[in-house]
Amino acid sequence: MLGLSVRDLRVSFRDLEKPALTVPALDIRPGEKVAVTGPSGSGKTTFINIVTGLERTRHGSVRWSDTELSSLSEARRDRWRSAHVGLVMQEFYLCPGLSALENVLLPGRLSRVRPVAELKAEGLRLLERVEIERPGQPVETMSRGQMQRVAVARALVTRPAIIVADEPTASLDADSGIAVANLLLQLAGEAGTTLIVASHEKRLIERLDRIIRLEAGQVTRDTGASQEMAERDEAF
Amino acid sequence: MLRFIAADLRRHWIGVAAVALLIALATALGVAVTLSERALRLGSAQAADAFDLVIGAPGSETQLVLSSVFLQAAPLSLMPGDVLAGLSRDKRVAWAAPVGFGDFVENFPIVGTTQALVDGLGGISEGRTFALLGDALIGASVPKSVGARFHPAHGQLHAATEIHNDFTYTIVGRLSPTGTAWDRAIIVPIEAVWHIHKHENGRAGIAALVEEVDAQDGAEPHGFEAPINPDAVLDPSAPGLPAIVVKPHTIADAYKLRQQHRSDRTQAVFPGEVLTRLYGTLGDARRILSVVAAGAQFLVAAAILLVVIVHVLQRRHQIGALRAFGAPRAVVFGIVWVETFVIVGAGVLLGFLFGYLAARTIAHTMGEMSGFSMPVTFRIEDMRSVLILLGVAGLAAVVPSILAYRQSPAQALRN
Repeated sequence: MLGLSVRDLRVSFRDLEKPALTVPALDIRPGEKVAVTGPSGSGKTTFINIVTGLERTRHGSVRWSDTELSSLSEARRDRWRSAHVGLVMQEFYLCPGLSALENVLLPGRLSRVRPVAELKAEGLRLLERVEIERPGQPVETMSRGQMQRVAVARALVTRPAIIVADEPTASLDADSGIAVANLLLQLAGEAGTTLIVASHEKRLIERLDRIIRLEAGQVTRDTGASQEMAERDEAF
Repeated sequence: MLRFIAADLRRHWIGVAAVALLIALATALGVAVTLSERALRLGSAQAADAFDLVIGAPGSETQLVLSSVFLQAAPLSLMPGDVLAGLSRDKRVAWAAPVGFGDFVENFPIVGTTQALVDGLGGISEGRTFALLGDALIGASVPKSVGARFHPAHGQLHAATEIHNDFTYTIVGRLSPTGTAWDRAIIVPIEAVWHIHKHENGRAGIAALVEEVDAQDGAEPHGFEAPINPDAVLDPSAPGLPAIVVKPHTIADAYKLRQQHRSDRTQAVFPGEVLTRLYGTLGDARRILSVVAAGAQFLVAAAILLVVIVHVLQRRHQIGALRAFGAPRAVVFGIVWVETFVIVGAGVLLGFLFGYLAARTIAHTMGEMSGFSMPVTFRIEDMRSVLILLGVAGLAAVVPSILAYRQSPAQALRN
């Protein structure tokens, strides 16, 4: 179980004058289920990229329990991510031509973080859980809802401590979206993983423990922050 | 990883096939040039095997060899008849045979000679050898049958100046295959050629000589039913000849004979030596063709690298996603490298096959036209060029792989 601690984070892009994201302090407890919301361009994806190590942290500190992401090289961040993070994206990034099961196993196989036999058993179990009846079905013959459920199984197959989802329901119809949201919450709950979901789907956000709202790269609302802030104020 | 690559290749199979084919054609161009040049060299060396020493009237050495060994028609000057008579009596000579040409049937050259050359070329495989003046032997690949009759024509069919209707040859036998231009020749007794050409007014030299012979021998003008007289060619006053093929007993004899026949009356050449000089020229031609082929290959390689790079750029989402989902950078590099190398490598191997088939086709066509066989063969050094090309392919595949390796997954996913 990993918890996140962000301090003095500032992310700037070369072509932008204002920083894309500024987070003076933010903590997420291990196992906490957090929604990150806000209008598009508010820094949600940047936040996701920083906390998953996809993007390098140049200013400030991003620490997952004992791991300081800002001090890791790109290769080490890749390795850390493949061992600890399950990703679900708005686009599914499944590989056409491969079956559902092969897609679920692909990242785990390529990074070799778990033995293949173990991965395969877990993959089959998860596909059953996300109600994919035929693990051998080629993914290009599936509906979008089914594809995203395969992607959810893929995110969980290496038993990560953190699940990060970026707009997981945005490209799905309402019913499929609800199904995927349910699965994410259930499976993350069962495994006790920390869950971070960037979304503006109201019905998904409301079911999470805590909502962090970003606007123009700043945290403007944090339903879990009042207690933390109070604790910090006391410390000063 | 391999399953992923296979699925990806299958999905883009049309593009993959097009690129592989392009590489194959560029490779085939170079391979065909090399193989054909080598086949031509081997084939012509083989063709000259039976011809140790060729003696003719002074003139172009190359033309003498092309005319006698490869039967390329050309007006050669004649040397006096006593040259053959002298050679036949020479102790250093195993056999000496005249080669007299000028007539054709369709596109097959008619060559007048003696039994010695028939034996020297490998003998008869069907029927019998010539015994009468009107008997003819056909080369192994002449599409006529034993027993057929024909009239000789002066010059080729499409350019025939005169058909000798008064004379009829009968095919009595077929020569064993030699893999040389002689497979498409029709061989007749040299005396028959002399007989026909004594009526020619255009070639005063030979006609005059023939008249002399006739005057001496009192032979019938239409004496095609007469038996061959082996002594006719030994007569010092026999008609002139464009070329004589000589088989010396030893190499030392060959050099002495050549020395002796280099005079103002005759020239003597080793066809092997003349061919070596020709190969030099051929080699230069091949070098030019090779440069052209290499240029084509370079352009194709550059175009393909561009295609592959565009392909990688197009797929940067997929590649970025692979890394985002946990594939190490090295694996991403490996996937792109293997995929590129498989396409280029398949193209190179296919190219060698195409090049080989093209060289075979060229050799076959040349063989049909000239009767002269060009053995197309692979050698160890070809193996080396395959490996070098594959090595270059492997290096080229590094470029898109590095591109994919350096791709930031966050950036790839952003768009």
